[in-house]
Amino acid sequence: MIQLSRITKSFGRHEVLKGIDLNVGKGEVVAILGPSGSGKTTLLRCINFLERPSGGTVAIGEAKADGKHPSKKDIRELRLKSAMVFQHYNLFRHKTALENVMEGLVIVRKIPKEKARAKSVEVLEKVGLGAKIDAYPSQLSGGQQQRVGIARALALEPEVILFDEPTSALDPELVGEVLEVIRRIAKEGITMVVVTHEMGFARDVANRVVFMDEGAVIEEGDPREIFAKPKQERTKQFLKRITPEPNYSI
Amino acid sequence: MPGAKFDIHYVFDYFPKQLSTLSLTLTIVGLSILLGLGFGFLVALPRLYKVPVLQRVSQVYVSFFRGTPILIQLFLIYYGLPEVLKLFSVDVTRTPVLAFVVLTYSLHAGAYISEMIRAGVTAVDRGQVEAAYSVGMSGFQAFVRIVLPQALAISLPVFANLVIATLKDTSLAFSLGVMEMTGKAQTLITLSQHFVETYIALAILYFVISFILEKIFYVLERRLLKHERQEAGAGTGRRFGWRSAPTLRNLLTGTTRGRGGARARDGRSEA
Ligand SMILES: Nc1ncnc2c1ncn2[C@@H]1O[C@H](COP(=O)(O)OP(=O)(O)OP(=O)(O)O)[C@@H](O)[C@H]1O
Ligand SMILES: [Mg+2]
Repeated sequence: MIQLSRITKSFGRHEVLKGIDLNVGKGEVVAILGPSGSGKTTLLRCINFLERPSGGTVAIGEAKADGKHPSKKDIRELRLKSAMVFQHYNLFRHKTALENVMEGLVIVRKIPKEKARAKSVEVLEKVGLGAKIDAYPSQLSGGQQQRVGIARALALEPEVILFDEPTSALDPELVGEVLEVIRRIAKEGITMVVVTHEMGFARDVANRVVFMDEGAVIEEGDPREIFAKPKQERTKQFLKRITPEPNYSI
Repeated sequence: MPGAKFDIHYVFDYFPKQLSTLSLTLTIVGLSILLGLGFGFLVALPRLYKVPVLQRVSQVYVSFFRGTPILIQLFLIYYGLPEVLKLFSVDVTRTPVLAFVVLTYSLHAGAYISEMIRAGVTAVDRGQVEAAYSVGMSGFQAFVRIVLPQALAISLPVFANLVIATLKDTSLAFSLGVMEMTGKAQTLITLSQHFVETYIALAILYFVISFILEKIFYVLERRLLKHERQEAGAGTGRRFGWRSAPTLRNLLTGTTRGRGGARARDGRSEA
């Protein structure tokens, strides 16, 4: 489904991604883990070209773009096949929950308003916000806002949804409701790439975890195996730092 | 004290006489603001998109029109522009004074409007634009659908102040002999020598128009910013309330009122 090959990215002289290869199969849920500054967000943003890679190629399904010299059309194709859920929700503040979800359907997909509305209501109900469709973002809690963000992505029926730390801006008591929604849509077989610091979530939901450090993938594999016995020293250290409970791994 | 003895009747008497010139005053304001919006957009764009040379040019334009008295701008354009145009053998001697007046006011308003647009656009956090891109919108769609409506709503209090300031500034057009409200007042004074009464009538007129404009903008603002209102009771204060709106000059000297974006802003580069 997603094929990233030899993705590099530099900000000025700072090389943030050092040639990343990553394939994600249809229906697969991949969790990307790694220390702060390792390039997880940057990699995710390269997939839909919110960040332009310095080199390599990105492909989602049939859509393919050269990292350094993409055409406008290629970028558009990639964005039509993907959707993103942001750390800070990034909802359109002048639009209601319903309008946030409808916007892409009506403006980009050119779906007739009535149909788009019905679809949007359905998706908002699915994320548990059926009662809040007319609320503006400023009237919603963080958890509710993020669920609108998820609904906005889901309504587009993309081939893949990209999540960038969807719960890390939330108050602890709101994390659960959002993870629950993501868990549920993961079960429906939607392809997902999730950057997260929630180890429990990664272990339970992901089919595969990918560890990044200093702009490179250092280890990847089945979550249960990797959490139980990581091969790389840096993965071990990272896991030790991030999992306080001693009896966390299986 | 100069002039004739005070007689309140003149206030009532002159009121309708001055009112007859109201339409000219409002025409100057309307045309100037309309053209000013055009200039403002043209001038704001190179600065928003950091176009190398044009960016400097628009900076100079803005500094000039904000940094010099409007009366001098009126004179410069009325007396100076024809001289300049003469060099290109364009003859404007038959052009009505009003055209120069409107040109000056719109250039003046344009300088403020360009700053207003710039402040409004930068106040909409980058994350929303990225979200718009991520659902597949083009740059143009993101600007028109997401950034502009919010930028306009944010700018409305500043815009309201600008319209009212322009209304008051039109009183200087009489110095070029334009018969708007203040010009009319001057002739009435010459005729009757009733200074105070005439100016009282004039002041009331300006005040009433400003007051009405204020109310209209207030209603508009509440409409446009309804999405920032918290649910009843949960309010964190009226962040963009009319009363808290700083004065035009304060605001336009560059203080943008940041909103929401503080924690949502990522400061990342665009694709
Ligand atoms: N727009 C940018 N300009 C310059 N440097 C950047 C930019 N965006 C990211 N970086 C740098 O790239 C590196 C990787 O950043 P990135 O946000 O991808 O890390 P991350 O793994 O997502 O970290 P975190 O877990 O803290 O979110 C960091 O050193 C960061 O400072
Ligand atoms: Mg990150």
